Amino acid sequence: MRKSPGFSLIELLVGLMILGIVITTTIVMFTDRQKHLRQANETILAYQALANESEIWRRIDFAQLEAQGPSFQSDTAILAPLAPYTAMVRVDNVSTSRKDVTLTVRWANAQRVARLGVIRVDTGGSTLW
Amino acid sequence: MVKRERGYTMLEMVIALAVFGVFLMIIVALTAEMRANEKRYPVNFMAHPEVSAVIARLRKDIFDTIYYGGEWQGYSQTHQTLILYTLTQGGAGETVVWDFRTPGEVHRKSYIATQLNAEWVGRGLPNFTVDIDTYTLPTGQDATRIKATDDQNRLAIDEIFVPRPHK
Repeated sequence: MRKSPGFSLIELLVGLMILGIVITTTIVMFTDRQKHLRQANETILAYQALANESEIWRRIDFAQLEAQGPSFQSDTAILAPLAPYTAMVRVDNVSTSRKDVTLTVRWANAQRVARLGVIRVDTGGSTLW
Repeated sequence: MVKRERGYTMLEMVIALAVFGVFLMIIVALTAEMRANEKRYPVNFMAHPEVSAVIARLRKDIFDTIYYGGEWQGYSQTHQTLILYTLTQGGAGETVVWDFRTPGEVHRKSYIATQLNAEWVGRGLPNFTVDIDTYTLPTGQDATRIKATDDQNRLAIDEIFVPRPHK
């Protein structure tokens, strides 16, 4: 009996499987790239907020640093896409003349963190850096 | 003998479509998060070199600013115009006007005394707004706040620049 022309079911399935693997691999690579771009975007947003906050903490009087609350004092509207997030400030007394201010933003269930440190030194002035 | 009709059977077509459907579901699942992120996140203008150039030049100008001017050669201090009295690298006084009024463009003009010394134009940029009144730091200094939103009105750039002490 003469075989009818065309592909068999097996040939069709194998072809679809190869096509599927190629498509899926391409999409996975694409989404992975998108994920990295998103993470870069998030980091840029976080560091804008950190830089803005550092402008405040670098100018607070040295003696008053611990008296400030642990929250950000600047507007953190730029962080809205990262919600829910936490933005905290910690002041460490390293020595009598040095305090380390650490600004931290956490998001994605605290899986992602951005930090900015400001080292404050008591220069004796009142409104210095 | 009856000749078999050419083409696929219903079973063959159903199996083929089912396999293709599985791949489609995988694609949809993989791209769903991507589409959600597109809605959630603002455009990353910072990746644009021209935007970085604007931000860097603004930071430098404001850092060296002695005072914010009110009026200058037809310009007024508004949310779309920033007038600065700043210093050159050589220490000479310079008036700088940042003009954000033209959509998509940024104009920076610098003047030595009353003479236009240099003009720089950036194109293909987001629409910036400038605010010198919002931020008064605990030390009493007025910061300059630069903002830009994307076409979905999402805040994409929010930078605070503060002049350094000049005493």
